[in-house]
Amino acid sequence: MFFFYLLSGLFLGWSLGANDTGNIFGAAVETHMLKFKKAALIAAIFITLGAVFEGSGPSGTLGRLGSVDALGGAFTVSLAAAITITLIVRVGIPVSTSQTIVGAIIGWNMFSGRLTDYRSLITIASSWVMAFVLSGSIAALLFHIAKPIVNRSKSHLLEQDVFVRYALVVVGAFGAYSLGANNIANVVGVFVPVSPFKDLNLGGLISITGVQQLYLLGALSIVVGIYTYSHKVMRTVGKDLFHLSPITALIALSAEAIVLFLFASRGLYNVLLSLGLPTIPLVPVSSTQVIVGAVVGIGLSKGGKNIRYNILARISFAWVAAPVLAALISFTLLFIIQNVFEQKVQQEAHYIFDRKSITKIAEEGYDTTALSTVNGRSFRAERDIYRELADQDKLDREQMLRIIKLAEVHHLKVDPAKLQASGMVARFSERQLQRIDELNGRSYRHKWQLMADLAKEEEFALFNPPRSEVQKNYNRVLEGKLDLLFRAFVVDDKKE
Amino acid sequence: MALLLKTTRFVESQIDTFLDIVSDAATTFQLAVEDYLEGRLPQFEERLTQLREYEHRADDLRVSIERFLYERTLIPENRGDVLAILENTDEVIDNIKDSLLQFSIELPQIPVELNDLWMQTTRASVAAVEQLVFAVRSFFRDLAAVNNYIHKVYFFEREADHIGERLRRQIFGIDIELSRKSQLRFFAIHIEKISDAAQNVCDRLSIYTIKRQL
Repeated sequence: MFFFYLLSGLFLGWSLGANDTGNIFGAAVETHMLKFKKAALIAAIFITLGAVFEGSGPSGTLGRLGSVDALGGAFTVSLAAAITITLIVRVGIPVSTSQTIVGAIIGWNMFSGRLTDYRSLITIASSWVMAFVLSGSIAALLFHIAKPIVNRSKSHLLEQDVFVRYALVVVGAFGAYSLGANNIANVVGVFVPVSPFKDLNLGGLISITGVQQLYLLGALSIVVGIYTYSHKVMRTVGKDLFHLSPITALIALSAEAIVLFLFASRGLYNVLLSLGLPTIPLVPVSSTQVIVGAVVGIGLSKGGKNIRYNILARISFAWVAAPVLAALISFTLLFIIQNVFEQKVQQEAHYIFDRKSITKIAEEGYDTTALSTVNGRSFRAERDIYRELADQDKLDREQMLRIIKLAEVHHLKVDPAKLQASGMVARFSERQLQRIDELNGRSYRHKWQLMADLAKEEEFALFNPPRSEVQKNYNRVLEGKLDLLFRAFVVDDKKE
Repeated sequence: MALLLKTTRFVESQIDTFLDIVSDAATTFQLAVEDYLEGRLPQFEERLTQLREYEHRADDLRVSIERFLYERTLIPENRGDVLAILENTDEVIDNIKDSLLQFSIELPQIPVELNDLWMQTTRASVAAVEQLVFAVRSFFRDLAAVNNYIHKVYFFEREADHIGERLRRQIFGIDIELSRKSQLRFFAIHIEKISDAAQNVCDRLSIYTIKRQL
């Protein structure tokens, strides 16, 4: 059954391959500096490497936006995103995979009555704008650096050609690697907690975790997408928007690879953090927006006369249309999958304001008098609690979201074997695993109860409140791990 | 790196050899005209034979370069421009050879008083071709210098036109038969056409240079 559900993730991978590879190699292929077959091979190899070896990347932000908690829901959300991308790619317009995923997740939130975390949404949406502006600025800067060098260069035209050709391969490979690292979580990330793949140990030298095997499968679907459908999008990016010469193509690609890397590399993030410098959020950005930003940056540096604004407008329209369309398709498909095919698209949510949860809410310093109307009641949808609390007008949206999280019933039973089976053991330290083992067999009603028990081991303790960027980052990483545990240890209400 | 540039270096050397031939052909042309005016006909014929050989070699090289550029998809963005430059430059050699060939066939009798202007026109045309060779070389290796050479080509082309006009006026001013005047005018124009051909290449070259600049 898992593999059937995984099909939609693979479909999404295929559409990502068709769409996003064009963003990396479009200009190089369209200027005939690289043959399509060669570009496709490089993309296939490096996207796969990036996905498998650095794929854990920035998936946490998507998780905070909306945690799709049932396999059927994950299947439908992926399917909705893939359909949206395919529809738009068919028109020859490059579209953002991240945006469609976000749209599809919001569709799931609407369908399941969950509240969308606006703060995460704003972080994601602003990162798209930031990535666009940043890549445009980097491309413009690189252009102004390269211009005098190229114009005054004494190297032979043919030697320049060879240099640009190899540079396109190297930078393209770097871009493909960053894309794989940045975007694979979009493709199969939702399937991680339910993956049946076991860890593999090849001759004691290389160990491939279950998650990596899942990412590899996702990467292979991307590869199929590259070979079967990416040519058309390459043309739009490389030719229609703005005519790029091989050197300007190299500049655009360099800007794109740098921006994708900035938003994907946890290593760089940690270095910036340790140096006390401002960090760049690890968000899956859109390679489409990044490359279009770079092309526009170069176009403006050249005076802006040659940019085809009508095509730019078409592409920009798709950026608004894609998430909206994805949300609508997601909502409709969820309805069909749930009611026609009778598949479970969400865990049945249950919120209870009993003594335990009210005490916890009070412990966190919230004014419990605002909870008078919900006290002692249980709810099935976040939205209903939100309405009740909003009527009181005593709490802001952030506070209400936190209270709802604390009241959420999430039956959990600690079972280290499940972690082992899904290949997620590698993500935890020895001391953390030891603590999990100590709690083996214990059941919990709320996530925060398990968190409190785990936190007795200091490697599971969150900084509360975090006082610096370093502590915030520590919390984010740990929350990602805790989220994996919640997904792995969840048990059905009825079994409970 | 040397290995990566192996094919490239080979084509580069072919382009350089092609341009050397154009330059040699122009110098040979000037020497041949001098020989003709001084009445050293056997030496003149030797130069013509040499020019024919240059023309063949230039054609072979051009075809070989074209084939390499297309087969190895080298410089895809500039390939068409480079081929146009080479083909047009090749036409300059054709013009030079045609001009000498006509001398050899018709053996026009040039009055001695025309010798000086005749040589001046030839030198101006040859100078235009030599500056063209510099311009084309710079197009490949030093983009910033191309316009200087193009400027000089235009200068020598105008100079050739100017002196050529004086030559033609003088031809029609001396006391010889009209048929001879007409024949000499034809040869004078032929020499001017060599610098016109060089100018045509430069017209394209200046556009291609703009295209190549970032």
